[in-house]
Amino acid sequence: MRKVSLTLLGVITIILWLFSITRLQLILDKKRKKPLRELLVEELAYFPSGKFLKPMVIEYENLAADLVWLRAIQYYGHHLMTDRRYTWLGHIFSILTQLDPKFIGAYRFGGMTLAWDAGEPEEAINLLRRGMRFNPLRWELPFDIAFIYYMISRDYEKAGDYFYIASKMPETWGISHRWAAFSYGRTEKRREFGKILFQDLYESTKNPEMKRIARRGLKFIKREEDMEYLQKGIDNYYQKYKKYPADLKELLASGFIDSIPKEPTGGFYTITFDQEGKAKVSYSQPRRR
Amino acid sequence: MKLKPIIINTFIESVRDRILIILIVLGLLLMASAKIIQPLALGEESKIIKDLGLSAINLVSVLIAIFVGGRLIYKEIEKRTIYIVLSKPVRRWEFILGKFFGLLLVLFVSLLILAIGFFIVLLLTNIRADFTLLLPLLLLIFQLAIITALAIFFSTFVTPIGASIFTFILYFVGHLTRDLKAFAAMVKNPVITFIANLFYYLLPNLANFNIKGMVVHNVPIPPSVLLLTILYGILYSAGLLFLSVLFFQRKDL
Repeated sequence: MRKVSLTLLGVITIILWLFSITRLQLILDKKRKKPLRELLVEELAYFPSGKFLKPMVIEYENLAADLVWLRAIQYYGHHLMTDRRYTWLGHIFSILTQLDPKFIGAYRFGGMTLAWDAGEPEEAINLLRRGMRFNPLRWELPFDIAFIYYMISRDYEKAGDYFYIASKMPETWGISHRWAAFSYGRTEKRREFGKILFQDLYESTKNPEMKRIARRGLKFIKREEDMEYLQKGIDNYYQKYKKYPADLKELLASGFIDSIPKEPTGGFYTITFDQEGKAKVSYSQPRRR
Repeated sequence: MKLKPIIINTFIESVRDRILIILIVLGLLLMASAKIIQPLALGEESKIIKDLGLSAINLVSVLIAIFVGGRLIYKEIEKRTIYIVLSKPVRRWEFILGKFFGLLLVLFVSLLILAIGFFIVLLLTNIRADFTLLLPLLLLIFQLAIITALAIFFSTFVTPIGASIFTFILYFVGHLTRDLKAFAAMVKNPVITFIANLFYYLLPNLANFNIKGMVVHNVPIPPSVLLLTILYGILYSAGLLFLSVLFFQRKDL
């Protein structure tokens, strides 16, 4: 009887103990002015850099990075649903990637959220560039940098450079070539690089659709070169005769051009006049059957 | 050679230790928590579950080596069972080696159980189990050999708690010597550089054995690096065991 009552007393004590510690924790949580997910992130703010955190977690740095990753997702998700302010986002991803410098998913997610959601494209680019230092053969990182330059910073030259770097990486996404060409297409280097890139794309792929895209890209560049050549001839003709040639045959006969190039997509070139009477080279595309 | 009975005896004795069972169960629970983490990982579940599994196996094995290893010799002295053993035709070095290999066998079996648990978790979470995931576990065995040898070494002249604490400190520092050397290079003070180098070369460089991250990120590891690391583990443990035997020979029993 005495044994039973002692056991009962023990069970009651344990239940009371469990109840009191849970209750106490609830009170403590209420006393805090910030939600737990904010506090978990603020803890990371005590570490100025992941470099200091790394030695403390010794050989478990990857696991530590995973825990920070889970906190980062929670932090991002919470602010996305509420105030859309991401004060600590850059810091979190900086710590995370210092703990695990090969965590590609973290660089990419960090880069995209920093650029688009936090409105910090420079910080995003710095994060991705650091990723490139530790992962020089991963095409995704220069691709994302290029994407930010292209879409947000509108720096097409740099976008082209990074798309080009991405296109040279192993196992790269085929689209990197095209994007490099498109980006350079907005700069002075466009034809020079565009030709190389489309040629590379053509030779590197077995995909017939990709080959078709590359061929088409090369034809477009050739057409631009032809038109520039013909326009130069027209302008020189005008400078000498103070009038424009009636057509390309007249221009050819005058000796300002050596030949009339063939329009690469199967159409033909012609001279058109604008409302002010100024001559311009234009092209007609073949009729679709 | 009386090694075999000592190894078997150490194995049976350690398996009866509750701390061993608790740690293995804890490790398995830690790995099973991957199922909860999976939906929160946002596309990185493969990396996180592999990291978690490999780290859990590592941590649990190291704790077993530290806590069980630290008590190994002292317990025999305390219980006076050592006098029975040494009264038989057993040499002291055989006793030390028997204890070492006995505990290593315990660690190997624990690691095997944890590894099976890890591969079951991978199967349940639909993550491809790669053969390369066994490589960090292979190196872990040799890291554990060093830690066990350290625990036995300390166990020959300090109390079990002292041995466990010293072993744990050296385990921690053993993973920091690279950082110490790097920091010392930045300070450019010859005394600090000398001390850092002393630590770097004399203390066990356990960071050599940590290839978990490389394997999870599919970074190729040259076979020569693996072989040299294994050789380092064997050589370092052998040295520690030699020192342990020296200390134990001089011990007045």
